[in-house]
Amino acid sequence: MRAQNPAVEALGVAVAARVPVLLWGAPGTGKTSAIRAMATAMGLPCETVIASIREPSDFAGLPIVVGDEVRFAPPAWARRLAEAGRGLLFLDELSTAPPAVQAALLRVVLERAVGDLTLPDEVAVVAAANPPEQAADGWDLSAPLANRLCHLAWQTEPRAVADGLAGGWSAPVVPVLPEGWQAEEILSRGLVAAFLHVRPGLACAPPSNAAAAGRGWPSPRTWEMAARLMAAAGAAGAGDEARSALIRGAIGDGAGVEFLAWMVEMDLPDPERVLADPASFRLPERGDRAYAALAAIAAAVAADPTPARWTAGWQVLGLAADTAPDVAAVAARVLAKCRPPDADPPAEIHLFAPVLRDAGLL
Amino acid sequence: MAEHGIEGLAAARLWAVTRFPYLATGVFGAQVIADRGSGTVSVDESWRMHADPELTAGWTAAQLGSVLIHHVCHLLRTHGERAQGTGVRPDEAADWIRAADAEINDDLVPAGLDLPGRPVLPRDLGADDGLLAEQYFDGIRRRAARAGGGGRAGSQDRSASNESPGTARTWLDCGSGADGIPRPGQGDGGLPRWQIELLRRQVAQEVMAHGKQPGTVPAGLLRWAEEILAPKVNWRAVLAAELRRAVAEVSGAVDYSYRRPSRRSAVAGPVVLPALRRPVPEVAVVCDTSGSMTEDLLAMVLAEVEGLLRALGLARQVRVLACDTAVAPAQRVSSARQVQLVGGGGTDMGAGIGAAAALRPRPAVTVVLTDGYTPWPAAAPKGMRVVVGLLGDGAPEAPPWARSVRVPAH
Repeated sequence: MRAQNPAVEALGVAVAARVPVLLWGAPGTGKTSAIRAMATAMGLPCETVIASIREPSDFAGLPIVVGDEVRFAPPAWARRLAEAGRGLLFLDELSTAPPAVQAALLRVVLERAVGDLTLPDEVAVVAAANPPEQAADGWDLSAPLANRLCHLAWQTEPRAVADGLAGGWSAPVVPVLPEGWQAEEILSRGLVAAFLHVRPGLACAPPSNAAAAGRGWPSPRTWEMAARLMAAAGAAGAGDEARSALIRGAIGDGAGVEFLAWMVEMDLPDPERVLADPASFRLPERGDRAYAALAAIAAAVAADPTPARWTAGWQVLGLAADTAPDVAAVAARVLAKCRPPDADPPAEIHLFAPVLRDAGLL
Repeated sequence: MAEHGIEGLAAARLWAVTRFPYLATGVFGAQVIADRGSGTVSVDESWRMHADPELTAGWTAAQLGSVLIHHVCHLLRTHGERAQGTGVRPDEAADWIRAADAEINDDLVPAGLDLPGRPVLPRDLGADDGLLAEQYFDGIRRRAARAGGGGRAGSQDRSASNESPGTARTWLDCGSGADGIPRPGQGDGGLPRWQIELLRRQVAQEVMAHGKQPGTVPAGLLRWAEEILAPKVNWRAVLAAELRRAVAEVSGAVDYSYRRPSRRSAVAGPVVLPALRRPVPEVAVVCDTSGSMTEDLLAMVLAEVEGLLRALGLARQVRVLACDTAVAPAQRVSSARQVQLVGGGGTDMGAGIGAAAALRPRPAVTVVLTDGYTPWPAAAPKGMRVVVGLLGDGAPEAPPWARSVRVPAH
């Protein structure tokens, strides 16, 4: 069985976490049917509202006179969702909705308020849109509305289409969030907070041009959304690809990539701790991570080359030389250059002689 | 990493990262798999290299290391994805790979790449150094068409270049990482897309860090890294978005009018609701026609503006003003080429914007196309949105009250 499309997986996590999500994709690529199938699989009632043929008052409530006051009556779809107590509100064709309708949608998307009625917390909001350049009469999303949604790119894989046509479309797998998953949100919030201490400029960076404003961008609200999505993705056991799509969808590609790169770096062993206890060192499996870890350790030794640290550095390289002689040899060359005057030649040096000779470096 | 089973790989990698330290993360990030009997060393798009150990056994560490560097460059420059974007047919894949090789080799071979066989260089394709694979490929396609249409002109092309068959590259097939055509039996696995993206950024950052000392990194690789870290914005998309936004805000600034009752009055009972009224905005285009403007660039951007306005259903309302220090009378143009650049020294876009504001009916949106070397009015004109297209590289900033879009010369 083929692995599930990461976009579908990400969609499932966002729906389960009740974070408003928006699918961007060309017309005819199955966004609508995927969302309906997901609602069926989750056993949620699904209300479809096509935003582009609605008026602002359909979302802000229709004014009616009751006695001597004017109330804003919610439309029937909102009342049905409120009565069911849970469900999926699907806003289709969001990018073809005129700006006035988009403004009216602001409260619906984030606060789930339709006129005088507030939808229950258990109602998930999902939207779909065609990129403005592909829709005949598309508008870019306004920056405030875009900032309330997690943006996912909907791409079709030719192979999945071929499989689906031949053997029927597979129903999306719905992630199940275990009870009390929100507890993990504290951890992911801490991670976001640590990152924003390093890069305060990314805490709030509204986009400078109108095209970028229609997608995710970093703001306090979207960082909070990203933390919630990370916790949900972790609890649901979603794949890395889906998690990365959710984070980038919430805070935008630029900030998202920086945040992900920072998290990858956080996974590397701390050089000082390794030098204090070389035997504890475990070489990361992937070559580039192993290189980053060993280069950091060699750089830490070179920055403060005492005999004890220098010897500890060689011990680490000795552990790595067996599985990754080439990676370790690069770091060994750095260490060899910063030998403290009173240090003895290390025993590990002979491990690197063959590979250095083969590479023509001796 | 121990499972690769390829003799001399560690030494080859060590040679590669010593010679090209700025590509070390890329070289170690690619997974190498032994693929007995394939007769080549190839890459797939998930950063895996499939190497035939029997072939590589005959190579020196420097040669295998160079092949690794070469393949990492295919992956860094996403040749597979770009081949699909260029529409390379399976029968043209060999030509595309030659073009992609030329893009990589033109500055890495002078920097010390020691490839087995004879590497493809731009001059073998009759082209200059420093171009993109797409440009080399276009040249090959065009020469093939000229050499006598239809047939397999690409193979004639290959014999025309001075590669003698004996020393021709024995590892001709660089794999799906170079031409985007999936190879059978390579299966799932390798790096997921988002990690590839992080890896490429990491390499780009290291290239930039090494590039701070002049002369250490080839210029082509530096350009690549700059492009990754600060990607060029597609001015067409930005211009389209700004225009749509300007028109939307004008036509979206709807007035409520009681002249026509709302269609919802039926349900509102005694409350009279206003109907929404949607004015159709007038659009004017002010073109800088001073001597410093480039005619082709102006024509291209003007054509783009016209196309966008037509898509918004506003093409009939467009009036074009030519302006340097004085303003020519508004002309309705049917083609962008009809705008004449009169030349002359000074420019004052303030005059052009003023003239646009004086038009009747008054335009709600004015698009200004200029090279930016002009005085601007201190404040926004009243009741009019201004979108400024800054044409050419290094144009000065537009005033903050206008939305601006930069259009590079290339």
